[in-house]
Amino acid sequence: MTVDQITGPAPAEAPPTRHGRGRGRGTSMVARRQRAFYLFTSPWIAGFLLLTVIPMGYALWLSFTTFDGLSPHWRYIGLGNYRELIHDPVTWDALGRTGLFAVTSVPLSIAAGLGLAVLLNRPVKARGLFRTLIYLPAVVPPVGAGLAFKALFDQNSGATNGVLTFLGFDAVGWLADPYARYVLLMTVLWAAGNIMIISLAGLQDVPRELHEAARLDGASAWRTFRSVTVPLLSPVLLFQTVTGMIASVQTIMPLLLAPLGDTTGITTVPQSNYLYMMHVFAQYFALGRYGYASALLWVLFVIILAVTGLLFRFTSGAVFYHVDPEAKK
Amino acid sequence: MRSHAAAPPSRRRFLALSAGGAGAAALSGCALQVSGSVGGGGETVTMMVSPGDITPDQVRQAKRKLGIGVELVKWDITKLIAMLTSGNPPDLVRGVGAVDAAYFAARDVAEVLDPYFARSTVLRADDLDPVNDLWRFDGRTQGKGPRYGMAKDFSQDSMYWYNTAVFDEAGLSYPPETEPVTYEEWAENARRLVRRRQGQTIVFGGSYAGLTRSTLLATMTASAGGSLFSDDFSRADFTTPEARKALAWYIDYCRTKVGPSLIQPDPNGWDGPTYQAGRMAMTNSGYWLGGMIATDPKLAEVSRLAPAPVFAGGPRISACQGGTGLWMPKKARNKDAAWRVFEWFFGEEPARERAAGGWGIPTLKSLRSLMPRQETYQQRTLRVQEDELKRFSVVSFTPYTRADALDALFNQVAPAAMNGRISVDALAGRLNDVVNEQLKRGKEQVG
Repeated sequence: MTVDQITGPAPAEAPPTRHGRGRGRGTSMVARRQRAFYLFTSPWIAGFLLLTVIPMGYALWLSFTTFDGLSPHWRYIGLGNYRELIHDPVTWDALGRTGLFAVTSVPLSIAAGLGLAVLLNRPVKARGLFRTLIYLPAVVPPVGAGLAFKALFDQNSGATNGVLTFLGFDAVGWLADPYARYVLLMTVLWAAGNIMIISLAGLQDVPRELHEAARLDGASAWRTFRSVTVPLLSPVLLFQTVTGMIASVQTIMPLLLAPLGDTTGITTVPQSNYLYMMHVFAQYFALGRYGYASALLWVLFVIILAVTGLLFRFTSGAVFYHVDPEAKK
Repeated sequence: MRSHAAAPPSRRRFLALSAGGAGAAALSGCALQVSGSVGGGGETVTMMVSPGDITPDQVRQAKRKLGIGVELVKWDITKLIAMLTSGNPPDLVRGVGAVDAAYFAARDVAEVLDPYFARSTVLRADDLDPVNDLWRFDGRTQGKGPRYGMAKDFSQDSMYWYNTAVFDEAGLSYPPETEPVTYEEWAENARRLVRRRQGQTIVFGGSYAGLTRSTLLATMTASAGGSLFSDDFSRADFTTPEARKALAWYIDYCRTKVGPSLIQPDPNGWDGPTYQAGRMAMTNSGYWLGGMIATDPKLAEVSRLAPAPVFAGGPRISACQGGTGLWMPKKARNKDAAWRVFEWFFGEEPARERAAGGWGIPTLKSLRSLMPRQETYQQRTLRVQEDELKRFSVVSFTPYTRADALDALFNQVAPAAMNGRISVDALAGRLNDVVNEQLKRGKEQVG
C-alpha cells in the first residue's frame, strides 16, 4: 500500500499580509513570532531539561556505578552493570514476559476500543450514556482499580469465584500464578474506554461521502470498514499502537495486585506478573541497587526507541496521513 | 538571512544551557527543605513516621508541654534516602529495630545516642527493656555496642493467637498456655483446622509468615539451634540442617495452603481483618494484636495467646522480629530538640498511652504495670506473655542488606518450591546463590 495524501479543496489565496510588504518589517514579524514561540514553549523546555534530560543523564551516570543511596563505598564500574544485566536470567525472564504482555495486551485493547467505538458511532439510543459508562474506567485512579480487581478476584471472597462456585465450578486462585496474568490483562482491557474515545474521534473524522461512495459501489459493511474506515484510521491506530506499546512495557499495575502487601509491595507480585518494570522497581527500592536499576531503565529506553522506530518503519506504507497543505508551508 | 531567534542552538550553546540547568538543579537540590521543617533555635523537629505512630493530639501535646513543634513527614524509604543524601534529613526517623538498626548504623548515617541516654533522667539505662538491644550495633553484631535508637513497644513475634471457637468446632484441644507446641504440631493443627469448599478456603487453619520472610527464617533457624548467617553476617546458608529444617517447614506450610502465602494470598494483606472475621484459626502475631482483639469483646472472649513454637530438640527462644521505634540521623539539624521529643515519645505521655492501649509491650520496664489487666482475658494474656518474656532473645540480622531485599529475592525463587516444581534442597541452593550475592555487594558497599 502506498502513502496517500487526502487533501481538501485548495485554499483560497491568502490576502496580502503586512509582513509581505517589506523585507525589514517581515523579518521583524517572523522574529517576533519566533520569540513568542520560544516564550510560550519555554516552560515546557525548562521542564523537559530539569525533569527529563537531567534525571536521565544522572541515571546514565548512576548506571556506571554501584551507588545504593546510602553506602559510603560505592564506586564507578564502567559497563559492569550492563554486563551483569546481559547475564541476568531474571532480567531476561522479565523482559520476555513484558514482551508477551505487550504483544497480547496492545492489539487486544486496540481491537476492543475500536470495536466499541464502531458500535457507539452508530445512531443508537442513549449513546452518550454508553460512551460515558465505557470511558469511566479510564478515569478511575489505578490504585482504586487495583483494589477493586483484587477484591473482585480474591479466591475466597471475590465475586468472580462466587459466580463460579454458584454454577458448580471450583474456585480459581486468580491472584496467584498462573492466573494472575489474565487478571492483569483484564485490568488493561477494562480501561479500553480511553482507546475507544480516540478511535471515536478518528471515526468521526472519516468523510461520510467515502462511505456513501463505497455503498453505491456495492461494498459490504465489512469491506467498507476494512477498505475505507481502517485506512483512514491508520494514523490513529499507529498512535495507539506506539503509545500502547510504550505504556505496556512500563506497566506497574501488578504492584497494586500484590497479594501480601509488605513494605515495598513489589516483593510479593506473582511471578507471572513480574514484568520488567517490577524488576526495575525491585532493584531500586527493595535491593537498593540504584546503579543496576538505572542500567535496566536505560536498556528499556533503548528498546522502546528501537521498537518505536521499527513500528514506524514497517507501518510507513500502511498509514494514510491527512495532510493539511497549509502545514507544509 | 535567519533571525537569531530562529537559529537552532549550537552544540556549544546547548551544552552551556544544559550545564546552567544542571547547576540550577544542583543548587535547588542543595536547598531542598523538608516541608515546613526546622526553624531556627531548634523549636521544630521533623519526624518521618508512619500514620498512627504519633497522633495529631500528641503533636499538639508536644508543642504545649515541650514547646517544640513537631512536623510529620510520611515514612518512605526513597524519600528518606533522598533527604539523607541531600544532607537535609528528618530529625527522627521511624525504623524497625530488628532489621533497620544495623543497616543504617553500618552505613554511618545514624547518630550514636549513648551520650544522650547517659544524661537522661527519663530514659535510664537500667529501665530499658532488653528489646532495645535490637537498636545496638558494634560495627559487626546487632545487640552489642552503642545505641542508635529505641523501640516504642514490642512483641515476641513468633507467638501466635488462636480462636478457641474454631478449635472447638474442629474438636481439637487448645494449645497449652505456657508450654510451646512444636512447629510440626502447629502445622498439624492448622491442617485439621482449615475448612475448604469448592476450592475456596472458608477458614484458614493458621497463618505463619513472620514479620518478613527473612526474619522468620532467621528466627526459625535459631529455634532449630542454628544460625542463618555466618559469624560475620557476610553470608547466609540455607543448607545447614537447622536452616533447611526451617525452610522445609515454611515451604510445607505454603504448599499445604493452610494459611496465606505467596501462592494463596489473603486479600486483606495482613491477618488482622481475617482473624477478626473468624476466618483464621491461628495467627502468627505477637502480643500487639491484642490491641485489635480488645476492640471486639466477642473476639476477645475466644482469643488466646500461645507461646512461640519450637523445633523438637532445639532451644526455646522467642524473638522480637520488629521492635519498631525511632533513630536520629547523624546529620539531623536539631539534635537536642529531637532528643527531647525522643525522651517524651519513649518515656512520657505517648509511651504511657501506648502501654495502656495493649498494642505492644512497653520498652521501659517501669511502664509494664500499665499493660491492660482489668478483664479476665487480659489477665490470661498477660500471664502467658510474662512467662514468654523469660525466653526473649535477640536474633541478630545482617547489616549488609535490608530485609526487603532478602524478601524480594526469596519471593523470586521460592514460589517454584511452593508449587512443588523444585525441591527444598534445590531452593536452598538457589537462595544461597542470590542472597550471598546481595550480601557480598552490601559488604563491599559498607567497607
